[in-house]
Amino acid sequence: MRKTKVLAVAAGIATAASLVACSASAPSGDEKITISFWTHTHPPMIEVFEALIDEYEEANPNITIDYQTIPNGDFNTKMLTSLSNGSGPDIINMDDAAIRGEYLPKGLLAPIDPEALGAADAAEVAARYVDGALAGASDEDGTIYGLPSEFNGSALAINTAHFADAGLDPATTPLETWDDVSAAAQKLAAAGHPQAFSFLYLHSLWYAQQYQTLLHQTGGVIADGDEGALDSPEAIAALQTWADLATGPTAAADPNATSREATTPFQDLATGTQSMAIVYPWAMQQISETNPETYANLQVVPLPQANPSEPTSRVYAYYLAVNKASKQQAEAWRFIQFLADHPTEFLEGTDFVQPVVGWETTPAAQEIPFIDVWGEAYSVGRFDQVTPHYAEVQDVIQKMVNDVVFDGKSVKDAAAEASASVTRILQG
Amino acid sequence: MSSTRTMTVLPGRRARGARSLSRRSSLAGFLFAVPALALFALFAIYPAIQVFALAFFDYSLTSAPEFVGLKNFAYLSSDPRFLEATGQTLFYAIGTYGTALLLALMLAQVLSQKLFGAGFVRLLWFLPLATSWVAASIVWRVVLHPDGMLNELLGLDVQWLTSSAYARWALVIMSIWKETGFFLILFLAGMASLPQDVYEAARLDGAGAIRRFWSVTLPLLRPITLVCVIMAVLRGVQAFSPQKVLTNGAFGTEVINLFVYKTAFESARMGRASAVAVIMFIALLAIALVQIRALRRKD
Repeated sequence: MRKTKVLAVAAGIATAASLVACSASAPSGDEKITISFWTHTHPPMIEVFEALIDEYEEANPNITIDYQTIPNGDFNTKMLTSLSNGSGPDIINMDDAAIRGEYLPKGLLAPIDPEALGAADAAEVAARYVDGALAGASDEDGTIYGLPSEFNGSALAINTAHFADAGLDPATTPLETWDDVSAAAQKLAAAGHPQAFSFLYLHSLWYAQQYQTLLHQTGGVIADGDEGALDSPEAIAALQTWADLATGPTAAADPNATSREATTPFQDLATGTQSMAIVYPWAMQQISETNPETYANLQVVPLPQANPSEPTSRVYAYYLAVNKASKQQAEAWRFIQFLADHPTEFLEGTDFVQPVVGWETTPAAQEIPFIDVWGEAYSVGRFDQVTPHYAEVQDVIQKMVNDVVFDGKSVKDAAAEASASVTRILQG
Repeated sequence: MSSTRTMTVLPGRRARGARSLSRRSSLAGFLFAVPALALFALFAIYPAIQVFALAFFDYSLTSAPEFVGLKNFAYLSSDPRFLEATGQTLFYAIGTYGTALLLALMLAQVLSQKLFGAGFVRLLWFLPLATSWVAASIVWRVVLHPDGMLNELLGLDVQWLTSSAYARWALVIMSIWKETGFFLILFLAGMASLPQDVYEAARLDGAGAIRRFWSVTLPLLRPITLVCVIMAVLRGVQAFSPQKVLTNGAFGTEVINLFVYKTAFESARMGRASAVAVIMFIALLAIALVQIRALRRKD
């Protein structure tokens, strides 16, 4: 009798323990869960996220999404620091350069959870997306760590009203090469639009991505192994293109007169100060909201090339990924899948392309102005090269460009110095 | 006999009692200080020790620290970026605080007189002090714009913030405006406490205003000057905010603190950043000791 009682008590304890264990591994529908989620600041994107979060919370009353936005300039630093000390959010929205350059090498992200994403395995998840679209969030073994929240190709936006002022017909004015841009800029300047075309001089990330746009076209790389390659003929050609457009008789604008507010990067194009700019789909959408009058005059054309016979376009993507230290990874992936199930909202609200197979044929995609240009940009797109310690390398690229554009240093000297710095960073 | 014993014993008891009271007071004082000491040890001493230790490790925040001996120091000794940041820190500290100290001293001499409008001028110099570095830097970003107020006033066409030739000067100019008021307060307070009879005696001896300043004011102000110089060096070497806001270290304006910040939090090289912090600590300590010796020797 006594033995039976002991067994009964033991069984009861075991049952209770297993129940507790079950509740820990698979939360019941009543358990309150808070999922923290951080993104950078981009007002139209924030609106879409907030609307979808409301919808998700309504459908899942036990789940609260704690959504925070962080100013762009501080985003990487704050995210990296917080993830490193274990205080970061459950879900991050991060660009591919940071993911490949910092987060994957540091082991900060959890691989995708196919089950939570409603798939049998990772291959099934990958098959949902356009070929190569997940490469920006994959490691060398092909393990996938995020789903794209936006996928951007690059093109050239031109202000047709400015072109008309200069007597240029947007339909016939050649803009196939950077020399064409420079030639058009001279005419635009003569017609009272001196800021005809300018790169953006914001933080080092922007410098690096614009430089890599040119580098793709000239066939250069930042580094070859642990040796800097910024002084290769191809890389020097890329920097020379930048220099020609920013300085000297072929300059297309005064770089000192460009705005430098990183939270509104295309301010000069949006306000009608600048006539041409390298843009991404989201930039056009942002301008359509903030400056509809200017937007009405904007036209998107293919990106000018160093070699028009072999066009390339820089693509980059942001991915929704889960902090490896998160204690609710499955719930986080379920929420990410919910977001991924709404590509139309992102297309309509922000012009963010979520590159699911067949995205370009959806009615929402067809509504995007100049979809043919964007489609072409994606088809020849290439992700940036990312090196270890990429944040430092970006600083080097920024200094190299500043040396040439603002300080008058020769292209060769600046490139040689920068290349040595990259070597030092990679080998140090 | 008994009275004799009383005479000899009582003072001893009193002394013991006084010592006991003193011990109790000391103990109470110590106990009151314990929380502050504990917090200081936890949030100042312990991190400082950690920084010293980390300087000998390669640590990227996310993996276990790896001992590398003096490698971080060896790297820094030949790192052009670190050496440039050191040079820029010296340029900024001397340019800003050397000028601000001299300006504050001269202004204090003038504003300590009972002149019409002196209060208002004093207020104008104190206002920047009440403004945060970040707010002031944002205002100066507008002032230093190519089409901004400074170029307008001076009739110049200078790219203050986008040229290595001028950006460092722009930061110095802005910081002199921001920091002079701080030292002005200290010098004014020091001058107000100087004994007037010494000035009377100097006047009776026929000393003019300049002679009184050199021979009376400056020597008597030496303790305040010592404090000001030490604080100037510390503030100069700790500069960060204006460089971060105005140029983010571009165009040759990266100072040591910004270099440490970027090395630690953007590049996640905590060991190397700690090595810089150790070098800075030793350098600052040495400078402070030299300053104290140099200025006290004449007392």
